Amino acid sequence: MSLRDHIDGLEADRDTASGIDREKAVAIVIFLVPGLTLFGIFSVGPIVYSAVGSFFSWDGFSMESFVGLDNWIRTFADPLIIHWDNIARWRFPMGALTQNLLWVVLHVPISTLLGLGMAVLFADLKGRRILRSMVFLGFTTPTIIIGLVLMFIYDPQAGIFNELLRVIGLEGSVRNWTQSPQVAIYALIAGGIWVQTGFNMLLYSSALAAIDPSVIESAKVDGAGRWRRFWDIVWPLVRPVTAVVVIMGIIWVMRVFDIVYAAGGSAGGPNHSYSVLGIEVYRAAFEPPIDYGKAMVVALIQLVIVAPLALYIARMD
Amino acid sequence: MTQVSMENVSKYFDDGETVANYRLNLEVEEGEFLVFLGPSGCGKTTALRLIAGLEEPSEGAIYFDGQRVDRWSPSDRNVAMVFQNYALYPHMSVAENVAYPLKIQGVPPDDRDQRIEEVLRFLHIEAQASKSPAELSGGQRQRVALARAIVREPSVFLLDEPLSNLDAKLRQEMRSELKRLQDELEITTIYVTHNQEEAMSMADRVVVMNRGTIRQIAPPEELYSRPRTEWVARFIGSPPMNLLRGTRQNGSIAFGEAGSVDIGETTVGGLETVPRGDVSLGVRPEDISIATERPASTTAIAGTVDTVEPLGEYTVVNVAVGDQIVNAKVPTTSVERDDPVYLTFDDADAYLYDENGELLT
Repeated sequence: MSLRDHIDGLEADRDTASGIDREKAVAIVIFLVPGLTLFGIFSVGPIVYSAVGSFFSWDGFSMESFVGLDNWIRTFADPLIIHWDNIARWRFPMGALTQNLLWVVLHVPISTLLGLGMAVLFADLKGRRILRSMVFLGFTTPTIIIGLVLMFIYDPQAGIFNELLRVIGLEGSVRNWTQSPQVAIYALIAGGIWVQTGFNMLLYSSALAAIDPSVIESAKVDGAGRWRRFWDIVWPLVRPVTAVVVIMGIIWVMRVFDIVYAAGGSAGGPNHSYSVLGIEVYRAAFEPPIDYGKAMVVALIQLVIVAPLALYIARMD
Repeated sequence: MTQVSMENVSKYFDDGETVANYRLNLEVEEGEFLVFLGPSGCGKTTALRLIAGLEEPSEGAIYFDGQRVDRWSPSDRNVAMVFQNYALYPHMSVAENVAYPLKIQGVPPDDRDQRIEEVLRFLHIEAQASKSPAELSGGQRQRVALARAIVREPSVFLLDEPLSNLDAKLRQEMRSELKRLQDELEITTIYVTHNQEEAMSMADRVVVMNRGTIRQIAPPEELYSRPRTEWVARFIGSPPMNLLRGTRQNGSIAFGEAGSVDIGETTVGGLETVPRGDVSLGVRPEDISIATERPASTTAIAGTVDTVEPLGEYTVVNVAVGDQIVNAKVPTTSVERDDPVYLTFDDADAYLYDENGELLT
């Protein structure tokens, strides 16, 4: 071995010592390529494509000329997206964006509270496994099926909901719930809550199970009653789960489609009275007259609302 | 200061399938330090939880100062409890943890702060007041749990294996500290442990439990010097008491090939009243001497050295006597494996147990 080789050897060593490990870096890149490629093609690509496309005019599926903010202005001025007059009078349809936000405002808090309530209620119950499975079943069922089940439940003749109203003497309230513009959206939100509650309950149940039982007993010995134990001990300890539950709820609701489609078709109910953003994207993109620019703008609105929330969840400890 | 008593208290789980406690009878004096001692699963923690009010007895009654309390909640009984894993509220600071029972009692904030400060200083954790439990060491957490328990001046202080999660050195320190605490506060204290050293060193009286029942209640010295059953005799002391099976004949006990011993008087008196039959002769390892020559005294048992375990402070010699092994704890020894030896002891150090394992008196 010559002196030259020896020195080269030393330098190679120093290279590794300073943290540059070329082989390792190459290996990392090779392993990342398949994942990044798929991520690029199916996630980043379409987002960039629609972001760019939303500034162009479209003829069917082909991009024409740059139109600036034209698509955006047209979309926000569209009463199908936001119907200012009806909002002021609180009459449906109020536009898909407004209706979608109404879903958030009602569905998320109610399903969160119901999920927590059921988790707490079932925690010490004997048949808790069966009860939990039954509630969770709603979440495992495909949402399009939930939509169809809702049609049966709310059916004016055979539906059990109307039957229930008749039994309790509210004959006057009997109606075709999914086809009555002013109440249909609430009926559908109730169905959405049924779906989400099971998921929320499951998350809360596991959070409750993670609480050391002796902490609860300690509070009992310290003199805390049932309500105080919940408020002072249980609630603070399950609060991190609440962030997940609420955000997942918002994300789910902002993307809701199948339940609404099953109940009201691509119009989103009579006179679009319970249409949501997902329905508007679908109609603009796939039903004549095709308006690809609008579809892209509406999809981007969904993304702008959902993405920061998703990012927050991804970064949570 | 409160006097606690249990009358025929039993606790069953799973519709009577599991018996956790069976007919416990117990009187705890005001200001007494009582220790429940027993192997794991013996029901000592359940007994403590019954006194705490975390469990309701299936049968029997519990009294605090003569008042029946077994349907009362823990807070109505004004008990404080320290759990094995400390059970600190993870989302509250040390000061908030200690403040919590006072907050529930509705103690005004000024008064509350003063009492918290006092108790934190008393337990040397005032510097940790604003830290969260996760930032504390095991010993500090233990102190916070103690602080939270004593801050509200409970009538009864309950501790469930409070030292078992600490390392050996810290355990020793906390042991004497707990003893000091109890002496100063004079609160009736009930302490659960499976560690006999803890029990013997701290207790005014020890309640030995096994399989859900109380086997003996006695002060530590008495428990050691007069174990009422074979089981207790073997449970207290380390290494445990030797129990040699033999047959009682007139004034002597025969051990087959190993010979026989004449016993005039055991720890508990003469043998005249003892009937013939199978008995166990109990002698503590520390009361046995080893001789290589047959001694003149008649209480000598012949055997062969099996193993010798030098432990520095003392040496344990395991001697084969017939098909049984006898432990002898001696300061030093020159015997080796397979040496023939004679074991001697004073009559006064011997215990006799009948076939049912009861001490013969």
